[in-house]
Amino acid sequence: MGHGTPEWIFIGVVVAILIWVGAEAWNVEHALEYAPPNSETIRVVGQQWFWSFQHADGTQEINELHVKEGVPYRFEIVSTDVIHSFNIPDFAMLMDAVPGRVNTMWNIFDEPGEYLIECREYCGLLHQDMRARLFVEPNTGNTTATSQSESEPTISQGTGTATVIAPGGSQVGSSGTGTMRVVEPGNLTQSESSSNVRTGNTSNATTPGTGAGSANGTSAAGSSVTLSIPVGAATPGNPAYSPDPLTVSKGEVITVSNDDTAPHTVTSGASPGDADAGQLFDTSIMMPAGTADIDTSTIDPGEYTYHCTVHPFMTGTLTVQ
Amino acid sequence: MVLELKKPRPMWEIIFSTHHTDIGLLYIIASMVALFAGGGLAMAIRAELFIPGVQIFEGQADFARFFTVHGTTLLFLWLIPFGAGAGNYLIPIMVRYKDMAWPKLNAVAFWMIPPCMFLLWGGFADTTWNAYPPYSTLKAPGPAADMWIVALKLLGLSSVLGAINFTVTILKMKHPDLPLMKMSLFSWATLVTSLMIIVAIPTFAASLVMLYTDRLGVSGFFNPEMGGDPIAYQHLFWFTFHPEVYIFVLPAIGMMYEMIPTFSRKPLFSYYSGVIALIVIAVIGFGSWAHHMFAVGMSFTEKTVFMVGTLAAVPSSAMHVFNFLATMWGGRIKFAAPMLFSVGGILLFFSAGAGGVVNTAMPLDFLTHDSYWVVGHMHLFIMGTITLAFIGFIYYLFPLITGRMYDQRLAKIHFVLTFVGIALIFGVQHILGLYGMPRRVIDYLPISELIIMNQIASFGGWAIGTSFILFLYNMIKSAMFGKPADPKDPFELGKGVEYYYDYARRDPHH
Ligand code: HEM
Ligand SMILES: [Cu+2]
Ligand SMILES: [Cu+2]
Repeated sequence: MGHGTPEWIFIGVVVAILIWVGAEAWNVEHALEYAPPNSETIRVVGQQWFWSFQHADGTQEINELHVKEGVPYRFEIVSTDVIHSFNIPDFAMLMDAVPGRVNTMWNIFDEPGEYLIECREYCGLLHQDMRARLFVEPNTGNTTATSQSESEPTISQGTGTATVIAPGGSQVGSSGTGTMRVVEPGNLTQSESSSNVRTGNTSNATTPGTGAGSANGTSAAGSSVTLSIPVGAATPGNPAYSPDPLTVSKGEVITVSNDDTAPHTVTSGASPGDADAGQLFDTSIMMPAGTADIDTSTIDPGEYTYHCTVHPFMTGTLTVQ
Repeated sequence: MVLELKKPRPMWEIIFSTHHTDIGLLYIIASMVALFAGGGLAMAIRAELFIPGVQIFEGQADFARFFTVHGTTLLFLWLIPFGAGAGNYLIPIMVRYKDMAWPKLNAVAFWMIPPCMFLLWGGFADTTWNAYPPYSTLKAPGPAADMWIVALKLLGLSSVLGAINFTVTILKMKHPDLPLMKMSLFSWATLVTSLMIIVAIPTFAASLVMLYTDRLGVSGFFNPEMGGDPIAYQHLFWFTFHPEVYIFVLPAIGMMYEMIPTFSRKPLFSYYSGVIALIVIAVIGFGSWAHHMFAVGMSFTEKTVFMVGTLAAVPSSAMHVFNFLATMWGGRIKFAAPMLFSVGGILLFFSAGAGGVVNTAMPLDFLTHDSYWVVGHMHLFIMGTITLAFIGFIYYLFPLITGRMYDQRLAKIHFVLTFVGIALIFGVQHILGLYGMPRRVIDYLPISELIIMNQIASFGGWAIGTSFILFLYNMIKSAMFGKPADPKDPFELGKGVEYYYDYARRDPHH
C-alpha cells in the first residue's frame, strides 16, 4: 500500500479515458457505417493517375464530380491498377480504392461549394497530381437527384468548365461535339484544350478529313498518318509510341490510336512541367481503344518532342516537313 | 576490457573479432552511418517541400525513391542495429557471462547488415517502406524493388539470428546467482524485444518471398487478376510491423530505465511495474495490427476489434511514463546530456501517444490516415522518443567505450536544437495532416497555410540536421582528444550511484 497507490490511480484514469474514447468512436463510426436506403450510387474509379465518376443515370465525369446538396450519395470505390485512396478532406471522407474490391462509403454534402478530391495512397509517378474537384450544387428543390433525365448529362452552372462524358462514349459521334474537353490530371484549373484536336472513340470515329483539319483547307488535307500507342506503353522502358520518330508533311492529319490498356495522351513538349506543354497540339486523355486526330496544318515545319501527360516518361518525336 | 579505444588496436582485429564488445561497437558504428545517411535524405526532402511545386527533384519518382530509402534506412539500419549494438555491448556484462551464447553466429548476424546497406542504397527503390502491392509487384521499376526485397529479407534474417542469440544468452547463460527478477530492466527489454522479433518477423519474411514471386509473375498472391488479394499483403505486413514498433521502442525504454534512475540518483520507482508493462505489451502488441488498415474497407466488426486491441496496449506504455516520472520525483537530478535526452524523450513519448489514440479512434482515423498527421505521429515516436533515447545512450556509453569525456556544452546545444527542431517539424506536421495534406507527395497546393507550415517544418528539420553535425563533430573530436574520464564515475554523480556497467562485479561463471 502507499507506494503503489498513485500508480493504480494513474492507470485507472488512463483506462477510463481510453474507454471513453473507444465508446465515442464506436458510436460515431456505427452511425456512419450504413448508407441510407434512398442514397444514389456513384461509382468512383481510381486509375493511374486520375479519377472517373459514373453516376446512376449513366453519365460519366473525369476529374470532376458534380453532386447535389442534401442528397445522400453512396460511393462505390474501385481501382483498375494499383491501390489509390479516394479522399475529400473537407468532408473527412477517405476510402482506399483497391483492385479486386468494391469499397463503399456514403455522405450527404451539406454545404454547396467547390472542394478538393485527392489521392492519399502512394500510387506512383503522378500520385501528387491525382486530384479532382468536387462541386456541390445548391439543391433548388424542383429537381430531386433521382428525377434526372436518363439521357441528359448533368451540367454544372456557374463555372462554365463542366466536363461531361456521355454514357459509354456513344454520344460522342452523334452529338457532333468535336471539342469535347477532358480535364487533364493534376490541373485544378482547367486549361483550354487545343483547338486542332478532336477526341473520339473508335466505335464512332469519324473519318479523317471531316476533322478540324479539313476546315483549314491546306494542300495535304485528307491524307492521314497513323500513330499508335502500343500495348504495354504505360510501363517504363517499353516502346511508347510507334512509329517513332514520325515524319509527316505539313497538313496531313495524324490519327492517334490508343491500343494500350491504360489512358494516354499525345501532348507537345518534353514533359508536363514545360511552360509550352500542350500549346502546339494535345489530344487530352484517350481512353483505351480511343482515337484522336492531330491536324498538322497549323504546325510549322520542324522537329517537335511530345509526351504523355499521364505517363511523362513516354516521349516521342514528330517531324513536320 | 570495456574501455575500447583507449588501447588502440589494429582495425582488422575489431573487424574479425567475435567478441561481444567488438561486435557491439561495429553495430553501433554501422547504425550511426545509417543515421547520418538517412538523415541526409530527409534534409533534401525538407528542401523540396519548402515551397510548393517541383524544385530540386526531377519529379515524384525521384522524390519517392528518397523517402523510401530514408524510411527503410532509418528503421532497419539505424533503430534495429543500434538496439542490437547496445544489447551486444551490455547484455553479457549484465547477465555476467563472458560473451554472447554463440559468438560466431553473432558476427554473422552483424555482417549481414553491410551488404543490405549496399543493396538498399544501390537500388534506391521507390516502393515506399510499406511496399504495398500491386504497385510494388506490378509497377515499381526493377531492379531497385527487387534489391529492396532481398535487402529486407536479409535484414529480417539478421534480426532473427540476433534475437535468438540474445534470448539464449539471457535465459541460458545468465549467472546462476542472478535470478530473472533481479536482472536489469534493460536486459528485460532486450529479452522481450528478442522474443517479439522471433514471433513477428517470419510473417513479413514470408510475404517478401510472395512479393518477389509476384514480381516475377509466377504467382499472383496479391494480384486480383490471378485470384490474389492486395489486402492480404497488408495484413501480413502489419502483423509484423505493428509489433515491430514495439521492437523499435522497447530497447529505448530499457535504456531510459538505465539512465533515469542513475541521473536522478534515486532507485527506480517500481521494478515490477516495469517488468509487467514490458511483458504485457509484448502480448497485447500482437492484437492491434490492422489499425493501419481502417480505410482498406474492413467490416465494422473488424475495425472495432482492432481499435479495442490498440487501445488495450496503451496503459502499459503509460505505466513506463509513470515509472519514469515517479523515479525522478524528489530525486537529485543531474541534467547531463543522457538525462536531458531521456527527459525530452519522455515528454515527446507522451504527446506522441496522445496522437496515437486519435489515430486509433475509428472516425478520426479517416481524417488522419495517410496524411501528414501520420508522418508527425510516427516521427514523434521514432525520432522524438526512440532516437532521443538512443542518442542519450550514446552519450552515456561514450566514456565507457572511449575512456574519454565528450564536450558537455556542445552536447547540451545538440539537445536544445534537436528538441526544438523535433517539436517544430513534427508538431506542425500533425496540423498539416488536419489540413488534408497527403503524405508522400512532392508537391502541395499553394495555399498560404500549407506553405507556412511546411516552411516551419523545414526549419525544424534543418535545426535537427545542424545539431547532428555538432554531434558528429563532438563524437569524433572527443574520441580522440576529449579529457580522460573517470571510469568509476564519469558523470561525477558522487558516491553511491550505481552504473549499469559495474564491471568490477562482473565475475563471469565460465
Ligand atoms: C510505441 C511506439 C510507436 C511507434 C514507433 C509507432 C509508429 C508508427 C508508425 C511508423 C506508423 C505509420 C506507419 C505507416 O503508415 O507508414 C504508425 C501509425 C499508427 N500508429 Fe503508431 N507508433 C507507436 C505507438 C502508437 C500508439 C501508442 C498508438 C495508439 C494508441 C498508435 C497508433 C497508431 C495508429 C492508429 C496508426 C495508423 C495511422 C494511420 O495510418 O492512419 N501508435 N505508428
Ligand atoms: Cu495516389
Ligand atoms: Cu501500428
